[in-house]
Amino acid sequence: MARKAQKKPRGTDGALLPSLPWTLAALAVALAPHVPYVPVWVTGAFIACAAWRLLIERHRGTLPSVLVRAALALGCFLGVLATYDTISGVGPGSALLAVMASLKLLETRKRRDQFVLLFIAIFLVMSALLREQYLWSLLYLVGALVLIMAAWLRMAASPSARMRDSLATSVRLVSYAAPLALAMWFLFPRIATPFWAVPIDTSAGVTGLSDTMSPGDISELSQSDAVAFRVTFEDTVPAPGDRYWRALVLHRFSGRTWTGREPSIGGRPEQQIEFAGDPVSYQVTLEPTGQQWVPALDLPASWDLPRTFMNTTQGLSRVVPVDQRVAYKVVSYPVYRAESGLRDYFRGWYRELPAGTNPRTLALAAEMREAADSDRAYIAAVLALFREQEYYYTLQPPALGRHPVDEFLFESRRGFCEHYASAFTVMMRVAGIPARVVLGYQGGELNPLGNYLIVRQSDAHAWSEVWLPDEGWTRVDPTAAVAPERIELGFTDSLFDGLGAGWGGRVPSRLWHRFRLSWDALNANWNEWVLGYGPEKQNALMEWFGMESPGWRKLVFTLIAFVIALTLGVSALMMWRNRPPRLDGASRLYRRYVRATGLAPAVGETPDAFARRVTAESSLDDTSVARITRSYLAARYGGDDSALAELADAVSALGRR
Amino acid sequence: MSSIRWPSPSLPAFRQAATRRVRAWARKRQGQDALTAVLAARRTYILPTGVGLIYGLMAFAMLLGAMNYNNNLAFVLTFFLVALGFVAMHQCQRNLVGVDIAFAGVEPVFAGSVAEFRFAVTNPSRSARHRIRLHVDDRDSDMHDLGPGDSTVFTLPVDTAARGRVRLPRFGVHSQYPFELFRAWAWLHMDLAGLVYPRPADDAPPPPPSLLALGHRQHDARGEEDFAGLRRFVTGDSPRHVAWKAYARSGQLMSKRFAGADTSSQWFDFADLAGMDTETRLSILTRWVVDAHRTREDYGLRLPGEEIPPAHGAAHRDRCLEALALHGDGDG
Repeated sequence: MARKAQKKPRGTDGALLPSLPWTLAALAVALAPHVPYVPVWVTGAFIACAAWRLLIERHRGTLPSVLVRAALALGCFLGVLATYDTISGVGPGSALLAVMASLKLLETRKRRDQFVLLFIAIFLVMSALLREQYLWSLLYLVGALVLIMAAWLRMAASPSARMRDSLATSVRLVSYAAPLALAMWFLFPRIATPFWAVPIDTSAGVTGLSDTMSPGDISELSQSDAVAFRVTFEDTVPAPGDRYWRALVLHRFSGRTWTGREPSIGGRPEQQIEFAGDPVSYQVTLEPTGQQWVPALDLPASWDLPRTFMNTTQGLSRVVPVDQRVAYKVVSYPVYRAESGLRDYFRGWYRELPAGTNPRTLALAAEMREAADSDRAYIAAVLALFREQEYYYTLQPPALGRHPVDEFLFESRRGFCEHYASAFTVMMRVAGIPARVVLGYQGGELNPLGNYLIVRQSDAHAWSEVWLPDEGWTRVDPTAAVAPERIELGFTDSLFDGLGAGWGGRVPSRLWHRFRLSWDALNANWNEWVLGYGPEKQNALMEWFGMESPGWRKLVFTLIAFVIALTLGVSALMMWRNRPPRLDGASRLYRRYVRATGLAPAVGETPDAFARRVTAESSLDDTSVARITRSYLAARYGGDDSALAELADAVSALGRR
Repeated sequence: MSSIRWPSPSLPAFRQAATRRVRAWARKRQGQDALTAVLAARRTYILPTGVGLIYGLMAFAMLLGAMNYNNNLAFVLTFFLVALGFVAMHQCQRNLVGVDIAFAGVEPVFAGSVAEFRFAVTNPSRSARHRIRLHVDDRDSDMHDLGPGDSTVFTLPVDTAARGRVRLPRFGVHSQYPFELFRAWAWLHMDLAGLVYPRPADDAPPPPPSLLALGHRQHDARGEEDFAGLRRFVTGDSPRHVAWKAYARSGQLMSKRFAGADTSSQWFDFADLAGMDTETRLSILTRWVVDAHRTREDYGLRLPGEEIPPAHGAAHRDRCLEALALHGDGDG
């Protein structure tokens, strides 16, 4: 086989003009949700190649040569590699698909080459669904599918066929497929564990808690409305002031920044927690964070999230980062005593302060401790300082300089939770009280439409914990001393109470907010019932339908039965659509008369011949048979309207007798 | 051992053998068709195309992906694609079932050119039928869409090699509508045949001179001809035969016909071409007939066991060509 491959012709003849625009439209729609994620040049390359290709077709031009195409392909591949450093994963995968579509366009000559383009479009839809699964993603899926199938039909249709017909056929076939797809979706056995774990790319950048805190750096608190997690309580919902969602603990202070590396100790820590009072049971649906902490109400006693444990600072940590939405059940006790027997070593640990920073705070704290009788009195005095002196809660505090705590306490006197928690914790440590900062969320808004709690990124909060002998770690929230409404009402509700404007927050309109709550309720249901339809929900649903102890075997058999039944239904529907056209009026009337005679006309027997037979063999009276035959012939072949009326009259007279 | 010829184990050979068997089975199962047939569901077969197989693989890959990520929207897409495959399969079959096919004739051709079998295909239903084609072996007819109640004539080309009859014992009707994922087809066994004239020889010797050109010797030898009547004058008739009296009477040009050999006609005789093989002779005779018809001469044809008296016109030509085509055939 030394023969050289024959050079492919590169000319175009405009044969693709009817179908190519629709293939391009299908590709563009499939690509749309990727645009915010793929590099801008990928989108640009697609648009450029599409326009170029259309121009070539319109002007019957020549496709670029193999050399040009190879150069472009290499360039694009290297570009993707340079952007992502890898070619596996959803991000680089979809960028590569978009690039492939652009390049394939430049070598598409025949109608059938467009098959490849449409396959790429389907894969683009698939990768978009792997990346995000919103409610509108379903609309996108169905819309893109209808368009892809219409383009597919268009590709095979005769050039004279109208696009409207291809679109209508596509809609019809997709709607035939819908019940089948639905049955398969419900009945296909779901498995709990994946075959292999490929991380879903979260390059979109998840907004949420950071694992460090530097009050004074950030001059504006995130007011993101994004949902951090949603909570459904099993019975009673705790009051807003009790909803402290613990995420992570920061205990190392540099004078400016709090960080949270755990004290290194060998082995799994032995937890010393005593719970008391009534437990609170609830289910959390956590949006992806890309981090390992798992929020729970202070303080979790049991949880059902796999590979999750309680760390040394009483927070829940998962071994692998939360890359996908997870749902878990937790039982928490609001009343507890944690680590009442904290060892001296750790007590020292939680008292450490960097030397030479914030000297005025140190002096003030030492002075106040001196004046107080006990640690408790001292804590009360510090809180009173925040409450009674001119300290303000604001979402837009000024940036702070070298000694941020000093500057906050003595100069700016305005800040949000992080500033107060940081200053308070420092003042505790000065007095020798072990203290630390807890990051998490506080409050949350009850959605009356779904009866669940929405906790948003704007509910992020920081508070302090001090260690007291016999009582262990005790929560103290200095923000509550400054802005009790923030804690008692929750962030969103305080915004509406007119306080938000005073803090410098954006106050949304009430109507808009109501709409958003309904939308969120819809999304919560979507997440739970559609995206969260897993083995447990499937089993529960099947049992509700009356299937006893559903297993994959039963599911598969039911699935097959449903698919066969529905496919037969579709086939019958198509057969019905292909039924012969309706008879004209005269023929229908004549058919009634034939039935009344009880005889069957032979093949090729004329109405007149049949009438003679009827007269001879049946009991019908001769004059009406003659009248029917005459008027039928006149109406059917003479186009005589009055004859039709007469025929109707004669046939109905037949029925009356 | 060496006397047994085993089929070669190669794939094309196996495919050919399989195709032959399947066709024989279908022929036996369906029996002979009349010249009009309605495609019933039980004789409409369907198989996935190459694109269909790729589509199936893609759906399977997507199913694995959806299962791996436990992504319910990916499941929705995957199952939609699978369901569309099922729907396409049934649509593809339903697109053919119920279509009415009637043989609409085939024009005779000269050997070596393409015989065009024509079929009237009718869609007797309320919805349109799309992208329908006829085929025989690897050759396809033109492709048509049929609206509700529409009827269209399809032309199925069949190559011819030798004179005689070109047989079409079996042909197919197929469609890949809607997505070309499946190909539905039906075999029809109408046992059709078209006439194939011998190929006119390219370098034929000139035809024997006509009686007219030989002068009157032969004419005289034959004696007086018997007047046999009048017929309408056609261009090319000898002015000697014009019935001038009749012209004077009726104002219409008429030619006199004689019962004996027409003096202006010539005989193309198989026996004149001695020394050549039969097919060459037939080929040369065909050339003479075609040329004589073009110049509107009268001619007669003598074949062993058959004689067609001189005449002219399309019907006469066709009669001569048919005799040449079927010469030596049992049924000629």
